[in-house]
Amino acid sequence: MKNSHNSPLLKVENLRIELTTRDGVAPVIDDLSLELRAGETLSFVGESGCGKSMTALALMGLLPEKVGRVAKGSICFNGEDLTTASPARLNEIRGNDISMIFQEPMTSLNPVYTIGEQIAEVLRRHRGMNKAAAWQRAIELLDAVRIPNPKNRVSDYPHQLSGGQRQRVMIAIALACEPKILIADEPTTALDVTVQAQIFDLMRDLGRELGTATILITHDMGAVAEMAERMIVMYAGRMAETGPVQQVIDHPRHPYTKGLISCVPHLLAQLTAERPPLAEIDGIVPSLKDFGRDECLFASRCERANEQCRNQRPPEVGFSAGQLSACWQAEDV
Amino acid sequence: MADTNTQAVKDQDKPLLTVDNLTVRFAVKRGGMFSKKSYLYAVDDVSFAVKRGETLAIVGESGSGKTTAALAVARLVNAAAGKVDLAGQDFLTLEGEELRQARTKVQFIFQDPYSSLNPRLRAAAVVREPLDSLTTMSAEEKQETIDRLFAEVGLHKEQQHLFPHQFSGGQRQRIGIARALSTQPELIICDEPVSALDVAVQAQVLNLLRRLQENFGLTYLFISHDLGVVQHMCDSVAVMYMGKIVEYGDRLSLFNNPKHPYTIALLSAVPSVDKKRREQMQRIDIPGDPPDPVNLPRGCRFASRCPKVVDKCRESEPELTEINGTHRVACYFS
Amino acid sequence: MNTQKTPTPSTAQAQSPMGEAWRMFRRDHAAMAGLLVLMLVLIAGLAGPYVYSGDPFEMVWAPFTTPGTDGFVLGTDYLGRDLLVMLIHGARVSIAIGLSAAFLTVVIGITVGALAGFYRGWVEELLMRLTEFFQVLPTLLFSMVIVALFGASLPMITLAIGIVSWPPVARITRAEFMRIRELEYVTAARACGVSNVKIILQVILPNALPPIIVQAALMVGSAILFEAGLSFLGLTDPNVVSWGQIIGSNRQYILDSSYTVTIPGLAIFVTVLAISLVGDGLNDALNPKLRKR
Repeated sequence: MKNSHNSPLLKVENLRIELTTRDGVAPVIDDLSLELRAGETLSFVGESGCGKSMTALALMGLLPEKVGRVAKGSICFNGEDLTTASPARLNEIRGNDISMIFQEPMTSLNPVYTIGEQIAEVLRRHRGMNKAAAWQRAIELLDAVRIPNPKNRVSDYPHQLSGGQRQRVMIAIALACEPKILIADEPTTALDVTVQAQIFDLMRDLGRELGTATILITHDMGAVAEMAERMIVMYAGRMAETGPVQQVIDHPRHPYTKGLISCVPHLLAQLTAERPPLAEIDGIVPSLKDFGRDECLFASRCERANEQCRNQRPPEVGFSAGQLSACWQAEDV
Repeated sequence: MADTNTQAVKDQDKPLLTVDNLTVRFAVKRGGMFSKKSYLYAVDDVSFAVKRGETLAIVGESGSGKTTAALAVARLVNAAAGKVDLAGQDFLTLEGEELRQARTKVQFIFQDPYSSLNPRLRAAAVVREPLDSLTTMSAEEKQETIDRLFAEVGLHKEQQHLFPHQFSGGQRQRIGIARALSTQPELIICDEPVSALDVAVQAQVLNLLRRLQENFGLTYLFISHDLGVVQHMCDSVAVMYMGKIVEYGDRLSLFNNPKHPYTIALLSAVPSVDKKRREQMQRIDIPGDPPDPVNLPRGCRFASRCPKVVDKCRESEPELTEINGTHRVACYFS
Repeated sequence: MNTQKTPTPSTAQAQSPMGEAWRMFRRDHAAMAGLLVLMLVLIAGLAGPYVYSGDPFEMVWAPFTTPGTDGFVLGTDYLGRDLLVMLIHGARVSIAIGLSAAFLTVVIGITVGALAGFYRGWVEELLMRLTEFFQVLPTLLFSMVIVALFGASLPMITLAIGIVSWPPVARITRAEFMRIRELEYVTAARACGVSNVKIILQVILPNALPPIIVQAALMVGSAILFEAGLSFLGLTDPNVVSWGQIIGSNRQYILDSSYTVTIPGLAIFVTVLAISLVGDGLNDALNPKLRKR
């Protein structure tokens, strides 16, 4: 955290996002606060349905229209509150200052345009480049994301590329305007593990070169450990735990974090013949209609749950180096 | 399942499943309507064996042919050549009624818990399907079996009358497991059984599979791309690349001492929470993409991406050779 | 051995996919209105003759009696026949033709589409060429030829409509079969040794039905229109009354006594509109993507 003396690039405070469903209004994000500094990688972890992707959409100002809304709190980007910004201003920020890559590189590229046209389009719209300059820059960007032979590949159509190459093109588009923040929503879930490693390398290197801050959304603790400096564990729309990655992995202070780490069979430095059963987290994430209750929403799946957990929402307990845990028994975990 | 156990003792040493030189190819048309037919060898001369009560994992990335190999073993795609011996029966030559009878011996657990259950059948009917078409049980016997299976996979009796969309992903996978167990098969093929599930639910299903194996002496052919999961589930592993097995060995030997450059690259690409492993492990980058499967190069299929490649690799394909005990590698540098 | 804890949805009711579709359908006001209108037309056709009896071919009063005069609610036509009686009898015929032609269409379409989509290869090639052949035929002309050659009886008219309108059903069925046959539950059924016939009829077909049902519903409407078109051109069974035939026989008097044409025309319009509303409602209700909204 070399820039820690600066003010944070992105500051989210007490954010509450409500989603209107058939069963009523549910807080998909409930009282979330975070800070992101330039060049830093922050990771969101959790199961599906915990509000990871919704957070990303909120930061992009892309909440589903008429269904989702910011009910409370603020999202400050460079001192500007995005929750009150006009749609036109948000449009300007999206792509220019904050951009996003998605899980499915197959469906996020338009199949009827060449990849060069799609990259150049972004440059022309956001940067006002002329056609020739944008095309030239597109080739440079393809080179930057390590697509071999970019001069020829620039006029390929998406279906002519492999999954990994498509994700590289998505990264090229996302980085075209040298954004300050890159949000990557499960960027490698659809890819093979060797390709994932290459994409991660690429994201890390580009982040370093351009000073882009990255928000990585994933369910893979291993990826978090390799990629991020700090992490936020989300559960049922709430922050369960946050802190420096290695510290949290070494000593999680929330039973959910602990479960997430130990329920996955990891590759270890030295395998042994021993194979104890994996730790299980019973049950599933509660449904939206239960979000927002004044209780620990993890209580129904938690071995340690007691009366207090079931009747009162736990406060955030602080530990060293900014580690926070929202658990009544955080000290004992 | 009692007789499965006694028989297991009887021929402990003989593998339950022996696959020899299995080849599966698909005709592909390139270019115009009249261009010559060429073949894509999805599985190319692959041999492996699984002992009773054990788990063989086949790992590989997309396009490696691991799922096709499993489907061919179960006679769900046609093999072009090779021999599959399951409990002393030559499985590939069976036809008609004999094949239908033999199908009780191999069952499948599928990847996608959303498309693997017929949305129009109630949970009990899903599990009953194999019993209806493969056994001559009476209605009461079937119901008893279903009740027992539901209990074994951790589902409640009351859930039998629900439809698949009313279950969570993990519960649906439990129904799929119950269906696979219903005919007391000798071999269960698990095709990426947890990769579509949330991490927390994965553990539940993996533990269930291991517990069932322990209790009933089940034999698994476990297909997966997730090396962590494979490491946890398998007794031995076959690593596939572009239709070929490149490395084959027992669990500890292969994971602690991988030999083939592809296996090493694959292992090194897996992100890990283990700090020690991250520090020890040197990332082996394999740039580029696999070769065109229809137009395979002459030599080793991995040559174009291999960090150790020499001229010899591009000229002739290395055979799978034994290096110690059961550990076999198809590389000139092992 | 099993002490596994799984949350029990003890209160959960078995919700069949069809049951859920019906719940969705019920919430669609336009579709429910359409269904109501259809019911009324159906009741009028079935029960009407017993409530308001009469022979639709009998001259009962002076020709061109305007609606509402002399006790004739809808008036009489150019031959002095009671329009209301004709309309009621016509409802029977029009709906019968609509339903049976749609049924025929669906049977041919599903058979062709299912075989093509399931077996692929040369079977598909052959059947799809056949489908294309029927699709490019000028439908009205072709059906006119059939009716002209084999006589204008109700079964022949139904057959003519059925033969020219099955290709869309076949195409939809084929597409659905091609999609579903790759799903894992079909592979699972194959792994259980379920025969191909059973897989087609019991595993794939029920899951392929939703879009076919929608198409079939719309087909009833278009069959009614088609029949009206043929009748208007005089290609009709002279022994029965249908709505199209009423229009056809009265068409010369459209300027002087427009009601003789307008009333059966409205009947066709309202019925076909109701059918489309129901079809749209079915489409929304049976489409899983639109559910849960």
